[in-house]
Amino acid sequence: MKGLEEAVRAAGARIVAALAMRFRDLDLAEEAFADAYARAAEAWTDGAAPADPAAWLYRVAERRAVDRLRRARVRGRLAPEPPEPAPTAEDAMTDETRLIPDDRLRLIFVCCHPAVAPETRAALTLRLVCGLATDVIARAFLVPEATLAQRLVRAKRKIREAGVPFEVPGPEAWPDRLDAVLSTLEIAYAKAHEDAAGSGPHAGYAREMLDLSRLLAELLPREPEALAFAALVRFAESRRPARLDPGGAMVPLAEQDPGLWHRALIEEADPYMRRALALASPSPRVIQAAIHGVWCARASLADPAPWPAVLALYDVLLRHRDDAVVRLNRAVALAEVAGVAPALAEIERLDAPGLDAFLPYHAARADLLRRAGRTTEAAEAYDQALALGPNAAERAWLGRRRAGLG
Amino acid sequence: MKYMLMIYEDERAYGPEKAGAVLDAVAARHGAFAAELGPVLVGGAGLKGTPTATTVRAGTGARTIHDGPFAETKEQLGGFYLVDVPDLDAAIAVARRVPLVGEGAVEIRPVLQADDAR
Repeated sequence: MKGLEEAVRAAGARIVAALAMRFRDLDLAEEAFADAYARAAEAWTDGAAPADPAAWLYRVAERRAVDRLRRARVRGRLAPEPPEPAPTAEDAMTDETRLIPDDRLRLIFVCCHPAVAPETRAALTLRLVCGLATDVIARAFLVPEATLAQRLVRAKRKIREAGVPFEVPGPEAWPDRLDAVLSTLEIAYAKAHEDAAGSGPHAGYAREMLDLSRLLAELLPREPEALAFAALVRFAESRRPARLDPGGAMVPLAEQDPGLWHRALIEEADPYMRRALALASPSPRVIQAAIHGVWCARASLADPAPWPAVLALYDVLLRHRDDAVVRLNRAVALAEVAGVAPALAEIERLDAPGLDAFLPYHAARADLLRRAGRTTEAAEAYDQALALGPNAAERAWLGRRRAGLG
Repeated sequence: MKYMLMIYEDERAYGPEKAGAVLDAVAARHGAFAAELGPVLVGGAGLKGTPTATTVRAGTGARTIHDGPFAETKEQLGGFYLVDVPDLDAAIAVARRVPLVGEGAVEIRPVLQADDAR
């Protein structure tokens, strides 16, 4: 069944998106596509796959959708007429990419509508645009599958009943809506990124994020933030092979061997980054991607770590987004450029709700206290970090540092 | 699609009787806003304050009558618009422009239609 899986991987999102837009119904699109998939699994015994599997799936799914609507109309006397699929010039063409209109961008905007709860937006996008199975998404979001399934049902219902438009928004709504799309993808990517080993429930879906961010950058080539996101995902993913030591402990960025980083991904990221920087004066997303880019420009451990450039970028970021997380990251860079004492003073000045439950805060503070020779306080800070339930890689790293205090 | 836009504000902003200068000023803004909406506007009204509210409550037995609003909240339903627009984004665009005094919220709810009775 290799042909079927490849066809779905290559064209699944396009087909679901085209169906969703044509019938203005996410459920119907999903169900019709699942029907077509099931029929293909029966019909495409080895070697019997059609010449153009994606076009086959699309045609069959389209027919199933019309059937389902017809049956629903017969069942419920008040059910609406199905919208007649408008005949388009593409219909006459046999080329698959012409036959199946590319409505993925519209689908992303529907899934990421601000009228849908943020966590659910991410799950819905992974489900409909990336085609991830509900159980995979549920594990990634640490919720029971039934709960996640329920959230997806509720979100799709909200989209249908509240009249969320199946359109890319107009200029007046554009900034809000693009921001909602990017925040959603950031939530989704953060889940994949947390899992440094790539062996946990997120395995494989980092790859979906590479696809999705490329798609968004291709569809919105003039939007610096979409380009910056594509760059950021690539920079961050390039470092995956170096994020854990052989003992499974986390390796801090400055200690990672750049020789282990995926050069190909960095080379893919660089042009996105350059275009993002060339388009407009940098926004927070562009600056954050640029910080990743500065790190990824390091060629080997023999080269000095780019702390001065990182600090300078955090200074710029702070002017756009002054919050505890940015200040904390800036303090970490400051320690390397100006010394531990001023960095520690910065960190001790931080005051934000939730900071006490923020693991990186305690970890950074512990590290600076350790380097300042304040061993007892450092030990306390490590214990606070360890008490916050770090993942295995963080626990191994923090535990080792804690043990090394003597 | 028809949507109801429900305006929630802390009615204390209008003074004790929901009358006087603040109300006059806001009413004028609503009047201008309604005129701008034109054919999009299906209906709407401002409401007197919650001290004037009476609630009929249905429990297991007979319906009982109570003084006061349905729920005591920090912000109260103070008025509504009924609009007819193509989709939720258009409704959001209208809601963003609804006049408010200080902090408040506009809740957007699609109106049930005959073909929703599936």
